Amino acid sequence: MSASATESVIHDIGYRRYDGPRLRRAAIVRALAWHSFRSAFGFGRSAKAKVVPVLALVLLSLPAVINAVSVSQGNPRTIGYDTYIVGLRIVVMLIFVAVQAPELVSRDLRNRVLPLYFSRPLRPVDYPFAKYVAFTAACLVMIEVPVLVLYAGTIVSVHGGSAVWAETRALIPGLLVGLMWAVVMAATSLALASLTGRRAFATGAIAIFFFLTEILAVVVLHAETRGDPAALTHASTAVKVAGLFSPFTLFDGVRRWLGGTGGDQALVPDPGSFGVVYAIVLLALLAASLLGLAARYRKAALS
Amino acid sequence: MSPSPPAVIETSGLTKEYPGGVIALRGLTVTFAPGVTGLIGANGAGKSTLIKTLLGLLTPTSGTAQVLGHESATDSERIRQLVGYMPEHDCLPGDVSATEFVTHMGRMSGLPATAAKERAAEALRHVGLHEERYRQIGTYSTGMRQRVKLAQALVGDPRLLLLDEPTNGLDPAGRTAMLELIERIGTEFGISIVVASHLLSEIERVCDHLVAIEGGQLLRADTLSSFTGVSQTLVVEVEEGVAALLEELARRGLAPRAYQRTQVLVPLGGSGAGSGTGTGTGTADQAFDVVIGAVADLGLPLSRLEQRRHQVEELFRDESQEAGNVS
Repeated sequence: MSASATESVIHDIGYRRYDGPRLRRAAIVRALAWHSFRSAFGFGRSAKAKVVPVLALVLLSLPAVINAVSVSQGNPRTIGYDTYIVGLRIVVMLIFVAVQAPELVSRDLRNRVLPLYFSRPLRPVDYPFAKYVAFTAACLVMIEVPVLVLYAGTIVSVHGGSAVWAETRALIPGLLVGLMWAVVMAATSLALASLTGRRAFATGAIAIFFFLTEILAVVVLHAETRGDPAALTHASTAVKVAGLFSPFTLFDGVRRWLGGTGGDQALVPDPGSFGVVYAIVLLALLAASLLGLAARYRKAALS
Repeated sequence: MSPSPPAVIETSGLTKEYPGGVIALRGLTVTFAPGVTGLIGANGAGKSTLIKTLLGLLTPTSGTAQVLGHESATDSERIRQLVGYMPEHDCLPGDVSATEFVTHMGRMSGLPATAAKERAAEALRHVGLHEERYRQIGTYSTGMRQRVKLAQALVGDPRLLLLDEPTNGLDPAGRTAMLELIERIGTEFGISIVVASHLLSEIERVCDHLVAIEGGQLLRADTLSSFTGVSQTLVVEVEEGVAALLEELARRGLAPRAYQRTQVLVPLGGSGAGSGTGTGTGTADQAFDVVIGAVADLGLPLSRLEQRRHQVEELFRDESQEAGNVS
């Protein structure tokens, strides 16, 4: 070997073998999920990448913080755990998934990094699985942290064990509703984002999907209910069917079917026994999203 | 044949037919020995399909492949743990530093967090990236990006590296540096390497063995020296006067032929340069002098004079011509 000018930057330090432990596939998937979870909040990225997640979390938590102040002055809690401020949650979560789902999947497509993953011990299905687990967890943080702040802000001001117990019992359905939102929104937004490596297109596709379906459902609902779905006790079939059009009205339909309250934060009237249809359509949306996501990467591994 | 060390790759009747009916591999039976092996083939010859099949990403229609003693059909996870892969195309994110990226890829190779960090730093040092490694990859030159691609293949301490067109897009200096790096990894690091390329002249500088495939079939697998016995070619490009130059060169004892309107190809060495050990520098120098003399005497505007890179097709043509002589 001649030492030419071009290799002057290559220091002659001997190569060392690696004899240490190697992670098994499951541990690698866990590492990828953790890495993706962090990137959903912009960690390991530039400061710019943290703007949307931080702003979204602050915005969503604001009502809970205001509640804490209000309750400390002796007022009752006015925000429901299971509905939170549903309009705000829709807008903020829509923006969050539209901006951050492409961060998790479109980037790797765009940069064509996938062959590097698939040439490692991971299997093609492991990649979308890790991304899905990570993004569901990220959505959970976005949704549940404000709910938990609401809970914490309330129980520090109420007095007596029974009051705390009542709050806790109200909290649990709220957390479950949040879980439903996170599980479905993460799946659908990742499936849409995985269709394109162009971030702007992916963001647009997700925003349009969630926004248009919501508009569609709301327009039909309002036409039928004269703007106050909660006031309607006997919903017509048209109203019930309208609620199937959008993930958000599906969430609310399932919530009400499982005994959630009405009031001004309800999006759909009580579906009654029709609620099972809401549940089935929601599960179908979830299944289609996950199957689509898995199929996308089975194909990507071969190209 | 003398007993040889165990093969790093062994395929037997490997056939891959894509759903559309395209057959990428046709009963490929070939053995890759330890060391640096060039995998030569034109675009579409089946190089990428072979690599993906070896990694277990594609299931062969029929036939088997063994990599480092593991069956690709059943034990591909183990293979992928032992093999480092550098794809042909760009595959790097622009908005993270090389250190972060290679560390992450080390994790994905199964290294624990601390080991991944250490080995990423080492891999980047081995490929010649130092302070730059903390800069975002988006600010890198093509040569540096190729080095990062090599580093991510190296980070998991592979026993075998599959490099797909590693000199793609590099300028001559970058190419030389990359090839020296590959040679160093192969000889000093003791890692077997398969370098896929369509440019024979490039990888012949670093390979011990060559495997040539075409149309998914094995064309030839041999040691480098038996491959490069073929004559080398000088390419002369003039803006005008090709006909006059052809005549003049023929008169001066060379055997030129016209190529692509403005070029003249001059075979070097004739029958004497068949040893394959050197690159025929002596005869090349003589031919250079003759060509320069002829061009100067004719007063032609010379725009290029260099030793021509072997294209695979050229190798294949030589092959078919010499097919009768190979024993």
